[in-house]
Amino acid sequence: MRELVDQLRERLAIVRQGGSEAARTRHLARGKLLPRDRVDRLLDPGSPFLEIGALAAYGMYGGDDDYAVPSAGVIAGIGRVSGRECVVVANDATVKGGTYFPMTVKKHLRAQTIARENHLPCLYLVESGGAFLPMQDEVFPDREHFGRIFFNQAQMSAMRIPQVAAVMGSSTAGGAYVPAMSDETVIVKEQGTIFLAGPPLVKAATGEVVTAEALGGGDVHARTSGVVDHLADDDEHALQIVRSIVGTFERPTSEPPPHEPVPPREDPETLYDVVPVDGRRPYDVREVIRRVVDDSRLHEFKPLYGETLVCGFARIEGYPVAIVANNGILFSESALKGAHFVELANQRGVPLVFLQNITGFMVGQEYENRGIAKDGAKLVTAVASSVVPKFTVVIGGSYGAGNYGMCGRSYDPRFLWMWPNAKISVMGGEQAAAVLATVRRDGMDQRGEEWSAEDEAAFRAPIREQFDDQGSAYYSSARLWDDGIIDPADTRRVLAMGLQLATAVPTPEPRFGLFRM
Amino acid sequence: MPSPFSSVLVANRGEIARRVILACREAGLRSIAVYSDADADAPYVRLADDAVHLGPTPASESYLSIERLLAAAAESGAEAVHPGYGFLSERSAFARAVVDAGLVFIGPTADVMDAMGRKDRARAIAERAGVPVTPQFEIGSVPDDAYPVLVKAAAGGGGKGMRIVREASGLADAIEAAGREAASAFGDDTLLVETYVEAGRHVEVQVFGDTAGTVVHLFERDCSVQRRHQKVVEEAPAVGLTDELRRTLHESSVALCREVGYTGAGTVEFLVADTPDGQRAYFLEMNTRLQVEHPVTEEITGLDLVQWQLRVAAGEPLPLTQDQIVATGHAMEVRVYAEDPYAGFLPQAGHVDAVAWPEGVRVETDLTADAVVSTAYDPMLGKIVVRGDDRESARLAMVSALDDTGVFGITTNVGFVRRLVASAEFAEGRIHTAWLDGDASADLLAAPSVPEAAVRAAARLWSTYDLDERDHVFGSVDGWRSGGEPAPLSIVLTDESGHRWTSRLRPDELADGGELAVVDRDAVTIAWEGQVWALELPDPMRGGHRRGAATDADVVSPMPGTVLRVDVAEGESVELGQHLGVVEAMKMELPLTAPYDGTVSFVGAAVGDQVPIKHVLFTVDPL
Repeated sequence: MRELVDQLRERLAIVRQGGSEAARTRHLARGKLLPRDRVDRLLDPGSPFLEIGALAAYGMYGGDDDYAVPSAGVIAGIGRVSGRECVVVANDATVKGGTYFPMTVKKHLRAQTIARENHLPCLYLVESGGAFLPMQDEVFPDREHFGRIFFNQAQMSAMRIPQVAAVMGSSTAGGAYVPAMSDETVIVKEQGTIFLAGPPLVKAATGEVVTAEALGGGDVHARTSGVVDHLADDDEHALQIVRSIVGTFERPTSEPPPHEPVPPREDPETLYDVVPVDGRRPYDVREVIRRVVDDSRLHEFKPLYGETLVCGFARIEGYPVAIVANNGILFSESALKGAHFVELANQRGVPLVFLQNITGFMVGQEYENRGIAKDGAKLVTAVASSVVPKFTVVIGGSYGAGNYGMCGRSYDPRFLWMWPNAKISVMGGEQAAAVLATVRRDGMDQRGEEWSAEDEAAFRAPIREQFDDQGSAYYSSARLWDDGIIDPADTRRVLAMGLQLATAVPTPEPRFGLFRM
Repeated sequence: MPSPFSSVLVANRGEIARRVILACREAGLRSIAVYSDADADAPYVRLADDAVHLGPTPASESYLSIERLLAAAAESGAEAVHPGYGFLSERSAFARAVVDAGLVFIGPTADVMDAMGRKDRARAIAERAGVPVTPQFEIGSVPDDAYPVLVKAAAGGGGKGMRIVREASGLADAIEAAGREAASAFGDDTLLVETYVEAGRHVEVQVFGDTAGTVVHLFERDCSVQRRHQKVVEEAPAVGLTDELRRTLHESSVALCREVGYTGAGTVEFLVADTPDGQRAYFLEMNTRLQVEHPVTEEITGLDLVQWQLRVAAGEPLPLTQDQIVATGHAMEVRVYAEDPYAGFLPQAGHVDAVAWPEGVRVETDLTADAVVSTAYDPMLGKIVVRGDDRESARLAMVSALDDTGVFGITTNVGFVRRLVASAEFAEGRIHTAWLDGDASADLLAAPSVPEAAVRAAARLWSTYDLDERDHVFGSVDGWRSGGEPAPLSIVLTDESGHRWTSRLRPDELADGGELAVVDRDAVTIAWEGQVWALELPDPMRGGHRRGAATDADVVSPMPGTVLRVDVAEGESVELGQHLGVVEAMKMELPLTAPYDGTVSFVGAAVGDQVPIKHVLFTVDPL
């Protein structure tokens, strides 16, 4: 596990450099701060930053270059600004001019979803050329594409979730709408520009020849057009103005923990030693829980029933949680216990934490005949109907219907994190290869054809390979199936951050869908 | 023999009142404090067993009013009076009045004060007792080769009414000024003119006499660090005295006291200079009271001088013989003043927001947070006293004590004295009485700029000051980043000159270094090496942070109107806020001002012109 964590840190270190050295040097030479420095200086000094999608677009868009579009060209996360938590979305102009790839759009939208769910002000540090034109078909037209960013801004503004933009570079086309749609906007003098069409497009369209500054510079927008509200001297000043703006918002709505936080009795770093990387080797998930919760204390529910699912109440950094953790394959009893416990957590208004390590529900005639499908459905119904905030950490496998019952991405957990050893796919590579091989063999048998053992092995290998590749945590994180891969030792902290954010929004009355009995 | 008194009225205020009150308590005597309106809330007033209100704040109506003090003594049933130092401590009239009222005066007799209190008479007595004195001149006939000379008031002590005259041409003015000062301070404009000894050292001998006529000395002190005759640092023993001269000073001081029948604590002051004939001493004056700097003598002798005063006043013999009085080690005292050393030592007044004194060393003070320092009295706020085995260890102890001192809210000399004590000149014992007033101290008297380390410490303190009130999750300051190195803290602070400092700090550098500071949401006031620095979080909404940069170079007409005045021409230098011209519009006269210091590069209208809104009237280029 330690090697996997080291590998994660290495990869994160590379993406956090941003664009190419040449691009960064050029950026700095213009007196601008690199986007991560902008974020650091925007936040309260020393504030933690819960970054999301740091590895977005990893291994995509660049052929052999895994790092072609680091972090999908946009930095997103949650940190404290002027004493209250905010979502920060910062374009990285050193990565393809800050243009939006499909994953950039997805990440921007994901950040907005987090903001809406947790009622967090959105601070956009804008420097973007708009859509990445070669991929405009995957960026522009659909429901969850570029336009949705502005739709969300308007919707959130209506919900009194503040939208603030600081234009710190060229913001063209789509980039121009972010500041224009914001509640309050800052622009950096002689550096930020806002226009729907840049000088080249203007020339092409109307023949007008105009400089960027005259077309949509800070002075123009602060004095003449009124597109922005504040004119800043430089990046640092702009960030200070944004901080000042946040200082005018209503008081922070997230709440401090109701109980005094107590560290676990076991050092979270010992997780590296107690969790086997090989998902086939069983271990007791309570060892994980002991290293995540306050004082290593778990009030376990039904410890003697449905033992492959561990349920119980605990606290994380003083916040109460209801934990649901896999401890083996799901049987009917485990599913029923889980459904009961999820309902209980909702009754009590306690946020749910799912620790996912599930190969799936038990299969076979006996179990199907006893109705494992309807028991599994009860758990899925309970999770899907939950009104308390949910948090999911994939600590091992996330396969098949187990993913659903354990609050996979489709079940709207507030955050979903992966450990670097995590695997995710509809089934295991081995099983998939076997299933497909069986189907093929059946067909060949019907046609009376021969299939040698070597041929079958050659047929199975690429399938296994494809599943293994697509099932990796990095493949998942690149596509934003999760919010990021975390160091297992940070699990407690990351969950606590989500729990704190969730306190800002009151929990509605629980109401469940029909449980098939 | 029963003590003739069991209660003492302390006719003083501040740290010396506190010192005497504590000594009384130790001696089993009831103490009575007196106070003016300004001191009603002073700690020493509460410390005393009883306290009597004297009158309004002005000293003439309180601490200098013999009548009121005697009334206070009568009201409280005091049987003795301790005058402290300053105020009435050397006024024979007071001593006499106290005794006439049937009380014990803790100090020498009024007659001795009369004799020694005047510099002219003291000088004559000293000469008789074989004490070395400087050449003296008649005011009307100072020879041309006598300069430099010192003109000083014959009455009173301290530095009031003193003038150094370097050339004959300056004599008349000096006499007039010194005479005026003397008249107002002492009610007597008699002056003396003596040879002025340049680069001398101020050495003084502590003496004690009892009513039986025994006189001893308690060694000497060196108070050469002075500015305008006000002592700043004192130490004991004196630096670089030959054994022979030291003996001469001790013996002649004792002889002087025997000559006048001195009782109680007194100090004989000398100027010591290196001359072609070797080290020479010259009598300056005798102070017939306890000195401000008496603690350094206490530190090297291990004796309590106030207890000695009380015993001598009670008619007891001196507790020790000369042979039994031994000095060991080295002691140093710094006077903490409410004054601005970088603005001609101008006295300062105001509210004390917070005060921190060093721990583990002797601090004589009555100053606490929330006190209001007024200019009605001496600006001394307290004294810091250290000792060591030798001068250097005492000096280093003083540097460290001053590092641990912070007076917030009012300007003090602490940072300045800290620099002084740390300086090579002081370390090497090269400072003479005129040093601070001369050119050699120019560097020391130039206001320093804030050290970067102080700014970094301030940034650090600001980033953590409210940490206890925050949650552990998003409220931490560890700069946590998932799977990466913690982010450094970047904190911008502006100093009093408007300079912006950006401090980059690693989260692991945030541990409390024990600095003294007052921190709030927008500002940090930090004591760094004794100097207090005010640093502010810049307000981004206030005109931009690059000077003038967020404001326009162009000064435009704020409304359509008529140009009423044009006050500047192209090429003219202007200062921030300076009027450039006036536009009249809608019955209002709208002044146009320079947005920052700069040069007018363009004037866009003449008087009488009709101008539209936003018409560029002036352009100012920043410096």
